[in-house]
Amino acid sequence: MIRYALTRVALLLLGLLVASVLIFLTLRVLPGDVAQMIAGTNGSPEQVEALREEMGLNEPLLTQYLDWISGVLTGDLGTSLVTGSSVAAELAEKAQVTVPLGLMSLTVALVISIPLGVLSAMRRGRADGTALSVGAQALAAVPVIWAGMMLVVVFAVWLGWLPAQGFPRSGWDTPWLAVRSLLLPALTIGVVEGAMLLRFVRSATLQAVGQDFVRTAAAKGLTRDTALIRHGLPTVGLSVITVLGLQVAGIIVGAVVIEQLFTLPGIGRMLVADVGARDLPKVQGELLVLTGFVLVVGFLVDLTHRILDPRQREAA
Amino acid sequence: MFRRTALAAAALLAAGALTLSACTADPSTTPTATGTPDPNAEITVGLVLEPTNLDIRHTSGAALEQVLIDNIYQGLVTRTQDNEIVDALATGHTVSDDGLTYTFTLASGVTFHNGEDLTVDDVVDSLTAVKDDDTIIGHADFAGVDSIAADGDDTVVITLTEPNQNFLFTLTGPAGLVFKSGDKTDLQTAANGTGPFTLVNWTQGDSIEFARNDEYWGDKAGVAGVVLQYIPDFTAGVNAALDGTLDVLTAVDPTLAPQLDEAGGFTLTNGKTTDKGTLAFNNKKAPLDDARVREALRLAIDHQALVDTVGAGTTLFGPIPELDPGYEDLSDVAPYDPAKAKELLADAGVEDLELTLTIPSFYGTTIPTVLVSDFNEIGVTLTVQSVEFATWLEDVYTNHDYDLSYVLHVEPRDFGNFANPDYYFGYDNPEVQSLYAEALATVDPDASADLLAEAARIVAEDDAADWLYNGQTITAVGDGISGFPQDSINSRLNLAGVAVSSE
Repeated sequence: MIRYALTRVALLLLGLLVASVLIFLTLRVLPGDVAQMIAGTNGSPEQVEALREEMGLNEPLLTQYLDWISGVLTGDLGTSLVTGSSVAAELAEKAQVTVPLGLMSLTVALVISIPLGVLSAMRRGRADGTALSVGAQALAAVPVIWAGMMLVVVFAVWLGWLPAQGFPRSGWDTPWLAVRSLLLPALTIGVVEGAMLLRFVRSATLQAVGQDFVRTAAAKGLTRDTALIRHGLPTVGLSVITVLGLQVAGIIVGAVVIEQLFTLPGIGRMLVADVGARDLPKVQGELLVLTGFVLVVGFLVDLTHRILDPRQREAA
Repeated sequence: MFRRTALAAAALLAAGALTLSACTADPSTTPTATGTPDPNAEITVGLVLEPTNLDIRHTSGAALEQVLIDNIYQGLVTRTQDNEIVDALATGHTVSDDGLTYTFTLASGVTFHNGEDLTVDDVVDSLTAVKDDDTIIGHADFAGVDSIAADGDDTVVITLTEPNQNFLFTLTGPAGLVFKSGDKTDLQTAANGTGPFTLVNWTQGDSIEFARNDEYWGDKAGVAGVVLQYIPDFTAGVNAALDGTLDVLTAVDPTLAPQLDEAGGFTLTNGKTTDKGTLAFNNKKAPLDDARVREALRLAIDHQALVDTVGAGTTLFGPIPELDPGYEDLSDVAPYDPAKAKELLADAGVEDLELTLTIPSFYGTTIPTVLVSDFNEIGVTLTVQSVEFATWLEDVYTNHDYDLSYVLHVEPRDFGNFANPDYYFGYDNPEVQSLYAEALATVDPDASADLLAEAARIVAEDDAADWLYNGQTITAVGDGISGFPQDSINSRLNLAGVAVSSE
């Protein structure tokens, strides 16, 4: 087990290193640079060149990469070329919006998908089961942005129950206002992700129904549903944990779109703005942290899975 | 681009009751407020474009000037909504007959936000820095400045090496702003100006907060505080206005304006701007180096129909808009005439012309769609290439690698771009260049404007570009709010006169 964990940690670090190179290089492919953005359409070519020199954009790529990565290794994610602020500090500030948004979305997704997924499997072949399954399929196909628009129109514009956009300037000092402003965005991501997860839970449950141990339990006199709930669901839970690892990436992508739509000052919106401004050191830092986060979640999921599922340990 | 269109479409479909009619804003309506003004009121104003940082000395951009000049920072002079130059920190100014010596008398009792007094040396040092430091915005406009000196405690004298009709106007921009000498404020995130508001907070990607400067030397601001809320998405902005988050929404998308109009609670104002929706032709690249081809393209565009589709604005057939000196109606130069356009193309020996339009993605699809269809009528195939602004800056602006491009040029008095052969238009006409130089050097404003008008006509007749429209901005002003500026607000948003009535 320890050996397995160490191998996975080594792979994780290697993954991060590869990601850092990829992030660095792919961003360099983008045309345009921050010096040009700052000088705007009134700046002279000399002014742009002076800015470029000052910002170190004329250094060879390898030097730029080594500068950046050596900073990262010592815990310095760099500073923004546009605002001069620390990338780590800005990430920490914006995470106060994005992390709660992610957790709320995940909660919504789980609350929707697990009971309804199991129900839809147990009611397979009946009208309500089919309706649930078809409904989930349709919802899973809905673009997050469309779902968001619909929820805004209904709950913010028509009913006026929740704010259509923004995050309170007082932040979490006014917790209720902060939660209220995240409800619609979290619901948007949660419903769409939940619909995808629901379909997964359903098929995992159906698979569990066919397992020998569930049939054995049923043969011993339990009803099919009870046998499924008592013996089948733990295996469903394991599969769900695996998929949750992937969902985290989905939620981050969803947050980028949704933060734009709801004008939430989170990591997603910061990322879009920074790419637009070609503030590459900042984008690099942000992407590396996000990639690291997804990789760590994947690692934890694998580890949990291994601890919880005795079959995997035996196989090894 | 796609995202915004999808959003707009979603909002339109969902709202159901929405009509797709053009904007119904009545330009003559000015919001009025009854009741007594509440000096403790705070307002939230929705804006689209956020500044990248607050360092107005080193960062260019209309978004920065729009909110910081007049409200936070001030110069000796400033400009009104109609682009007239008026005194700000100066109580008066004179220009010598030869146009070389500018004398400003400084207002007394002016203090900076940190409590320090404004001195004549602060003015001299601020302006000298622009002249000496090439990284400061406006440095190039100070090229003709010979000296900047104090005369006593309250007079500043600036001398030029040659007359410059635009010099006073330059002083109304970032180059003319006055900062405290030796001030250590980090201008990227904080401010220390002399204006009627102080900067309380800037949350990047979200909002900027102002509070009334109670120590202000002039008339104090009418509201206790202002929150400038940045909402880049037009639909999200309208939603925020409808759900009561915003008291005022600027830059309302014309297609969404009816939604605010019908909901009530807002008065829509239509404001003039110097925004020129410019269809740039790469004058140096074949076949656009042939004036007949450029003229054909202009004649193929039904400008009035385009303005109707955009939903706000007026037609503009030359490089100078109504609010700038030298404007004249040039509609006779490029009347809609597709038949003649076809003849011109045939004349130029151009068949099956294929052109690419490079357009920054935030401008959406409305204008490209109209152009594709208009050009199609005369047998020209237009491919639309929508790119990020950073890409546009590199490809089009710097490398001049394009056929046609579309940009809304918002700066006032930017006719000089057509007198600069190195600008991305690639338009090079010595006659225009000499007329422009003469206009700048002419001391009498009226004579200078006449010269500009003459140069502008030549540029229009040369079809150096096409001016699709002169933009207007729609602002939704909440009930009870008075004094909100109406014109030129995308370059200046002076909020000192805004008041909220208590009802």
